[in-house]
Amino acid sequence: MRSTKIKIGVACAAASLLALTLTAVAIGAGNAGPIGSGKASATHSICGLGTGKKATGSPIRLGGIDMLIPGVDFTTIGKTAAAYFDCVNDNGGINGHPIHYILYNEQLNPAQEASLARKLIESDKVIGVVGNTSFAECGTNWKYYKSKGYIVIGAGVQAECYSTPSFAEVNSGPRYSNVGAAQALVKAGIKKLAIASPDTISAYADGGPALVAQKAGIPVKIFPTHLPVTDAATQLLQMYQFAGDGGGILLDFTPDTAPAFMKAAEAQGIVDKVLWGSSTPIANTFMSGQFSPAFDGQLYIDNEFSNVDPSVGPDSALMFQVIAKYTHPTIAPQAFAQMGFLDGLFATHALLSIKGPITAKSYNAAVLALKNQKTDILCKPWYVGNLAYHIPNNTNIIVDYKNGNVVVRSGCTDFQAVDPAITQTRAWEKKYNLNTGK
Amino acid sequence: MTNVLGFSVFGVDWQFLKPFIVIGLAFGGVYALSGVGLVVLYRATGVLNLAFGAIGAAGALIAYYLLNHTGCPEWLAFTVCVAFGGVVNLAYGMVFGPAFSRRDPLVKMMGTLALALILLGLMAWRAPAGGAFARFLPLPSSQHHYVIFGTTVSLTQIISIALAFAITAAASVFLRVTKLGTAMRALANDREITATLGVPVRRVEAAAWFGAGIACGAAGLILPDLLTSLDYSALTFLVIASLAAALIGRLQSLWATMFGGLAVGLAQSVLSPYSSVSAYRSAAPFVLAIVALLYLSRRRVVTISRAGAGG
Repeated sequence: MRSTKIKIGVACAAASLLALTLTAVAIGAGNAGPIGSGKASATHSICGLGTGKKATGSPIRLGGIDMLIPGVDFTTIGKTAAAYFDCVNDNGGINGHPIHYILYNEQLNPAQEASLARKLIESDKVIGVVGNTSFAECGTNWKYYKSKGYIVIGAGVQAECYSTPSFAEVNSGPRYSNVGAAQALVKAGIKKLAIASPDTISAYADGGPALVAQKAGIPVKIFPTHLPVTDAATQLLQMYQFAGDGGGILLDFTPDTAPAFMKAAEAQGIVDKVLWGSSTPIANTFMSGQFSPAFDGQLYIDNEFSNVDPSVGPDSALMFQVIAKYTHPTIAPQAFAQMGFLDGLFATHALLSIKGPITAKSYNAAVLALKNQKTDILCKPWYVGNLAYHIPNNTNIIVDYKNGNVVVRSGCTDFQAVDPAITQTRAWEKKYNLNTGK
Repeated sequence: MTNVLGFSVFGVDWQFLKPFIVIGLAFGGVYALSGVGLVVLYRATGVLNLAFGAIGAAGALIAYYLLNHTGCPEWLAFTVCVAFGGVVNLAYGMVFGPAFSRRDPLVKMMGTLALALILLGLMAWRAPAGGAFARFLPLPSSQHHYVIFGTTVSLTQIISIALAFAITAAASVFLRVTKLGTAMRALANDREITATLGVPVRRVEAAAWFGAGIACGAAGLILPDLLTSLDYSALTFLVIASLAAALIGRLQSLWATMFGGLAVGLAQSVLSPYSSVSAYRSAAPFVLAIVALLYLSRRRVVTISRAGAGG
C-alpha cells in the first residue's frame, strides 16, 4: 500500500514537472520571434521591416561577385550579405517582396569578372550589385557598371574601388587600413618599417603606409608577396633583417595567410623584437586566441570596424545572430562578416527608401542618395552620395591582442590624408552633410 | 656559443645568411626524408610515387582534424598522420602494384599521379582551402629554441635534419644487412629471378610500400610546421623537391639522395634574400638535378658496336 502511494506521488511530481516545462517552452517560444524582428530602437536592431513574417511576393533580385583564390577567400563577405537578406526575407522582405541574392565566385580572372558582371545584370536581371570584393574586379568592371548606372555597395581592395564613381565601399581598403597601422607604428617609435602585401595589390596597398613612413623620415621597404605563401619564414627573416630590433613589420594579409607569418615569427623567436602592424582582417578573437599571449602588447592592428563583439551595439549583436542562424557552415564572426553585414544592411536601407516601383534605376538612385547611415560597427555614419569617388570609411581604431581577446589601443582616429582624395572626401562630407548627422 | 661565422667569405655575408641556411637545411631534411622513401620504393618496386606529397598532406589534414575537432591527444594525432602514409601507400601498392608490375616505369608513375589527383580532389572537397581562417599543425618541438652559431634554431628544425640522417643510415644498414633488405635489393636487380628463387615478392614489396609510406607520413607531419601553414596544395607539390633529391641520387644511392635533398633546400632558401634571383628559386631543384645528372654521367663509357664485324 505504502509503495503504491509512493509510486503515485512520484508519477504526479513527474507529470507536474513535465507540464511546467512544456508551459515554459510554450511561453518562451511565444515571446521569441524570428531573429531581427520587432521594433528598431537604440538597443535593438531589426532586419528590414522586422515584421517576423516571411515575405512571399515576387522576388527582388540582387547579385554579387567575390574572389576566391588560394590564400584569399572573400566569399565570406557575400555569404554574410546573403544571410542578412535571408533575415530580411523572414521579416517581411521589402514591403512583402523577398530579396533573391545571387553570389558568384571568381578566380582573379578579368575575363571571368567581366562575364559575371554581364551575366548578373543582363541575364540574371539583378537590379543591384552588392557584396563584391576582389583584388581586380573594380578595375575590370567599373566602366561597365557606370554605363549601366549601377552603384556597387561592397568591400574594396584595389584603387579603382575608391577612385571611380561605381563603387561605394563599407571598408577603408588595405591601403588606408595600412596607413592607419603605419601611423600607429610611427607614433610608437619604430626606427624602420617593412611592409608586406599580396603582390597583386602591393603597389597600391603598400604605397600608402610607405608615404606615412617617408613623411616621418623612417626608412621603409616593401615586400610584395606571391600567394599562396610557401616560404613565410624566409620572407619574414628578410623583413626582420631590414627592420631590425625596434623596427616595425606591417603585414597586410587575410586570416588565410597572416598566420603563416605570425607562426614563423614565433618559430624564429622575433615576436618581441619588433612592433607588428596589420590591416583589419586579423582583428578578431579567433586570431587572438591563436596568437595570444605571444603577440600581446606587440600589435597595432588598424581596425576599420568596431570590435567583433555583440556587446558593442545592437547592429553588432544582430550580426552575430544572423550569421549563427543563416550561414551554413556558420561563418566565424570577424571583419569579413562585418563587411558582408554592412553590405546587406545598406542595400536594404536603399531598397526600403524607395517610394514607387523597385527597378534598377530606382534602386541605384536610392543607393546614391544614402547618407548619415549610423551603425555601431563603424566609427562614423556611412554614405554614398553623387560623388566622383567614395571613401566613406576613413576613420579607424587601433586594436591589439590581450589574453585571447581583442582590445582597443586607441579609439576612432582619422587616418592620415596621404592622398589628395582623402582631403577632398572630408571636404565633401562637410559640404554635403554626408556623415554629419544633419 | 661563439659566433664563428660573423665575417664575409668569398664576398658572402654569412651573418646575414645564417638564418636562411638553417631554414634551408630544415626543409632539405624533409626533402631528403621523402626522397629516401621514394628511392627505397623505386628500388624495390620500380614505382616512382608522385603521390607522396598528397599522401603526406592528407595525413596532416587528418591530424589537424583530430586535434581541433575531436580533442584527440597530440601523440595519437601525430601517430595517425605517420601511419596514414604507410597504410595508404601499402593499400595502393597491394591493389595496383600487381596490375602494373609488368608495365614500364612511366605507366607505373602515372598510376601514382592518379592517386595524387584523387587525394587532392578529396582534400579540396572535405577541407576546402580558404574559409577565412588558415589551418596549421604546429609541433610541440617548435616551442623549444636554441642559439647555435648566433642563430635561433628550433627543435623541429634540428629533428628534421637529424631524422634525414638517421633514416638514411637506418635504411642503408637495413638494405645491406637484413634478409628483407637483401630481398628488396634483389627485387630491384631482377624481379623474375628473385621470384624464382622463392623470395616472397609480394611480401617484400608490401614492406617497401609501407616503409616508404611511413617516411612520407613523417615528412607530411614535419612540413606544415616548417611552412607554418597547412596548405594541402602547397604541401602536395613540394614532392617535386623530393623528386629532385631522388634524381640527384640517380634513384639508387640513398646517401646521394639525402645530400641532394639538403642541397635543394639550401639552394631554395639562400637564394631568397637576393631579389635578382629569388624569383627563380623554385627552379633550383630542377637545375640542381640536371647539373648532378650531367656531372655524374660524365665518365660513362659509350660502347659502339659494329654490325657484321666478324663477317
